[in-house]
Amino acid sequence: MFRLLEESGFQKVRSAVVPGFRFRKDSTQDSAEAYGVKAVMMTARKPGGKQA
Amino acid sequence: MINAAEAQASLEETLKDEILRMYQEVAENPDAEFHFFHGREAAELFDYGSEELDAAPRGAVDSFAGVGNPHLRADIQPGETVVDLGSGAGLDAILASRRVGPEGVVIGIDLNPAMCDKAQAHVTESGVQMECRAGRMEDIPVDDESVDVVISNGVLNLSFRKRRVVEEIYRVLKPGGRLSITDIVSGKQLSQSIVNDPKLWAS
Repeated sequence: MFRLLEESGFQKVRSAVVPGFRFRKDSTQDSAEAYGVKAVMMTARKPGGKQA
Repeated sequence: MINAAEAQASLEETLKDEILRMYQEVAENPDAEFHFFHGREAAELFDYGSEELDAAPRGAVDSFAGVGNPHLRADIQPGETVVDLGSGAGLDAILASRRVGPEGVVIGIDLNPAMCDKAQAHVTESGVQMECRAGRMEDIPVDDESVDVVISNGVLNLSFRKRRVVEEIYRVLKPGGRLSITDIVSGKQLSQSIVNDPKLWAS
């Protein structure tokens, strides 16, 4: 997703892991961890306009 | 003989139905147990403020099914136009509406027209303004370059066509517009059996 944002023209693409995220069921969480599944927060900016 | 494009389209429709079914179930049975945390428990896990949750309609909070808090870094300002992609029962849209104030605009987009109706009812209960439009994130029903901020919470991972979704977000944002999303990502390539199982996609 990070790469997709950059390839689509977004700038200042940032991401961070959501620290509190986990699945409710232990079996689901175990499977998720096996696949490296996690929640991330991403921000990005479309070029142009007023600079912040 | 079905070709790859037809197979993809068929799987996408099946996934859409599964998504609609699952999120409808969360909205209608918030006390049920799911694979994921939901409701106030999930919102507090993701640092939504107690006061803002107390002030939101109980139905919107109970049906919350996000995976994080896009408001933490969205920096939504008064007067801005915000799109909430996958607005569900409306909690994030309601919070965005409070931030943009009476001069701003919030548009919720949801695949399920019934969920839009539910979100609209919660918005009315809150006393804020939001318009919910039924539609796909792969074809966002919003004009080009008309939006200051796009937020989304646990939704983009449900699309088979993420590139298309990102292109649509880019299209609707004004130059200088911002994106703040939370989503599920995988560090490893998923097996084909997982990729082909709509139930696993939707959960």
